[in-house]
Amino acid sequence: MADTIPLGQPLQARFSEQTSASVTSVPWTIWCVFAGIVSSVVGGLWDISWHMSIGRDTFWTPAHILIQLNGVLVGIACGYMILTTTFGGDAAQHDASVKIWGFRGPLGAFIATWGCVAMLTSAPFDNWWHNAYGLDVKIVSPPHTLLSLGSFAIKVGALALMAGLMNRAQPEVRRRVTWLYVFVGAVCVTQLGLILTVPTWPVNMHTARCYLAVALAIPAVLMGPAWGLAKRWACTLVAGTYTVILLAFQWILPLIPAEPKLGPVYHNIKHLIPLRFPLLLIVPAVILDLLWNRTEQWGRWKLAAVSGPAFVLSFLAVQWPFANFLMSPGARNWFFGMAYFAYFDPAGLLYDPYEFQIAEKTRGEFWITLIAALVVSVLTARLGLSWGDWMRRMRR
Amino acid sequence: MNKFQLRASTLAVFVILLVAALSLNAHVGSPDVYYEGDAGSYHLFVTVRQPQVIPGVAEIQIRCAKNEVRAIQIVPMRLSGAGSSYPPTPDLAEQSKEDPQFFTGSLWLMESGALQVRVSVEGTKGKGELSVPVPAAAQKTLKMERPLWGMLALLMIFLALGIVFIAGAAVREGNLGPGETPAPGRARRARVVMVIAAVVVAGILYLGRAWWIAEANNYQRNVNIFKPPAAETNLENGNRLVIRAKGQDAQWSKYVKMEEVIPDHGHLMHLFMIGAPGLDRMWHLHPGRIAGGAFGEELPSMPAGQYQIFADIVDKDGFPWTLVGNVEVAQVEGKSLAGDDSAWSGSAVAAQGGDSTVSQLADGGHMVWRRATDPLKASVPMSFKFSVEDKDGNPAKDMEPYMGMAGHAEFVSTDMSVFAHVHPAGSVSMAALELARTGQTGASGELQAGMPMPIPMSMPMSSAPLPPEVSFPYGFPRPGQYRIFVQIKRAGHIQTGVFDARVQ
Repeated sequence: MADTIPLGQPLQARFSEQTSASVTSVPWTIWCVFAGIVSSVVGGLWDISWHMSIGRDTFWTPAHILIQLNGVLVGIACGYMILTTTFGGDAAQHDASVKIWGFRGPLGAFIATWGCVAMLTSAPFDNWWHNAYGLDVKIVSPPHTLLSLGSFAIKVGALALMAGLMNRAQPEVRRRVTWLYVFVGAVCVTQLGLILTVPTWPVNMHTARCYLAVALAIPAVLMGPAWGLAKRWACTLVAGTYTVILLAFQWILPLIPAEPKLGPVYHNIKHLIPLRFPLLLIVPAVILDLLWNRTEQWGRWKLAAVSGPAFVLSFLAVQWPFANFLMSPGARNWFFGMAYFAYFDPAGLLYDPYEFQIAEKTRGEFWITLIAALVVSVLTARLGLSWGDWMRRMRR
Repeated sequence: MNKFQLRASTLAVFVILLVAALSLNAHVGSPDVYYEGDAGSYHLFVTVRQPQVIPGVAEIQIRCAKNEVRAIQIVPMRLSGAGSSYPPTPDLAEQSKEDPQFFTGSLWLMESGALQVRVSVEGTKGKGELSVPVPAAAQKTLKMERPLWGMLALLMIFLALGIVFIAGAAVREGNLGPGETPAPGRARRARVVMVIAAVVVAGILYLGRAWWIAEANNYQRNVNIFKPPAAETNLENGNRLVIRAKGQDAQWSKYVKMEEVIPDHGHLMHLFMIGAPGLDRMWHLHPGRIAGGAFGEELPSMPAGQYQIFADIVDKDGFPWTLVGNVEVAQVEGKSLAGDDSAWSGSAVAAQGGDSTVSQLADGGHMVWRRATDPLKASVPMSFKFSVEDKDGNPAKDMEPYMGMAGHAEFVSTDMSVFAHVHPAGSVSMAALELARTGQTGASGELQAGMPMPIPMSMPMSSAPLPPEVSFPYGFPRPGQYRIFVQIKRAGHIQTGVFDARVQ
């Protein structure tokens, strides 16, 4: 464990803990939850691409089936965990559980089940919303938010399940679960990154609001899982996995033929369109890891006060100039994907997609927004550290 | 900037925006589109039933005149400008097994505005194509039914309580070692966290509700924008009628400029003044544009009374709007009717309603509505056929084009909630039809007031008299009592036949 950051008493205790609940293999339920989350990220990114390229869908598109499979797999695994712990006779399982409404089970299973119910609730709500206000008039709507919240709760539950397992498991099992945990952490970052799509679209990367939006959403979901892992280069691992996921979709999706089935059509698309090149979160992640290697004993507020601004400023330092490149002809290729446009996007016809937008009217407004981003980043970094600490202590 | 343009820089993912602007249903209270025309060698009657909400699914019905069509493809597109170049993958309309001349299909209309449905036909005479302009607009907001409301409320309560108890369990037991029992202090802390969680959840639910209300209000604004604008009237000097348009939403005038409306079969505005109640008088006038985006008309002689106003205009993108208002007029001793202006007066619609199929014309001739004896039904596409006879009962031999067409028909419900100005080609705007053909916006100045209509209107273009029959594809939108004004031109005189119709 040379690469493990020395931590506070609760976490240190976990490694010497050899109780009746000690785990010697990765349970199938964890694999099932993991498969559900893989299914959700593949389905989610595919679905977005589907809407950008084809438009029309049904409940039974492959992407939708993968998204639904997420709920099914997680529901089966968590339901099994809760029911066998509640009604089964396994003392070890019982001892490593929490009690809610008379049921017993791992805390993460309850959180993920809550997420499944939230996703389930969003379905009839969303269906009614479409009938009342039209199909997906806006991506950020109350039913979509409930769906997203449920999906995120599943990931939080999965991380809690895995953290509890790692904190009770043998080193070999812990090592294997670590990679599953890193992937789920990266999917959390991906999900929040998708919600930020509009403010962080390349044309908006020279606005302070872009960095305020990133400061609001990303530090908590990047630092939380990474800090909870208590491992050197954890941030880099999480952000690197996020980058690999998006790049894989960036390069694979255009290989699949597709054409629009809804109008109006502004671009004569012949293949699936990927979302966009990933944000350069890998750079602030490396900075955070370097920082945390030297500040491990700091109080959490002090650590957050440094980590948040370090994240925002390092992200700003690389994303701002990188945006210049993204807007240049050199990025209009399959690698960077800046020549891809959704069929419904009148890019190049009604507006110039390579012209930066101005969101802040004055220089003062720009700097105030940027300062707000720094302040917000402290709070969201603190939130992430709290989440991470909670997972470090997770036993059940 | 074109009114339908999106703030495209903010487009990402599949953000399908309701277009900021807008247009409205053609006519008043009659959103469905009826069109009759030729796709190459095939004569078709196309009905487009608009969805209640946009984006939503429109139902398409196509009847072929002869059993010679093998397949029909349908696809929605922008009427003109950007977005009208590349069609999405077309849908194959389904051929009825019982009636091979009847095809149906569904199309997603993804935005409000001036759209078209392009119909491609393949049959024994090769291929053909036609475009039907569709003024797509959201019509209303659905209410949530009680069972669904109850189910969602229960699930929300479950979720709200669930997260509170999960938070409590996390604090009480989450980081206890296996087998350890929570100390009393933990239980207390858990209760405090549960109270805090409950407050946070209540706050989130409150904010969610406020968000929902804001979204609903925003959507309602879009519905309101599409509602018929008000025709604000002012009678200057007792005989000069000035009309100004005022949208149902304050944003309307940002997108529809009166200075940019385009001519529709030769006139910028078709004004119908209908005596109210009773519909016993009707004037079809053509005001000109005056300063400040208003329209003005020196009224012809007309008796004092209350008049309902319907004023048809077409905006620069080919979207038809009908301004609705009323005006009280004192006795007017005005100019004589001239040009394309016309008038009719007669008996009021009977209080108990009813049907009529023969109308006496001003020169002693008759117009006869050739209809089946079956009761008329709402939402049924029909071809309204009228034949014109001279005073001796012979088919009229002196029929002429009236504003470029064989006839004009106005379908008006007696409560004035439905008004449709229909032509032999159907309920579509002729200006929109031209835009569908050329893809050019009216702002180009291609069409100018007073110019003859450049498109064929189901009528021969030679100087020979028109046939003594005229037909109009249309369907009554809902049950009720209607009056139909059918206007034709014979030997230089515009004549109006009037028919009453009770619709079930």
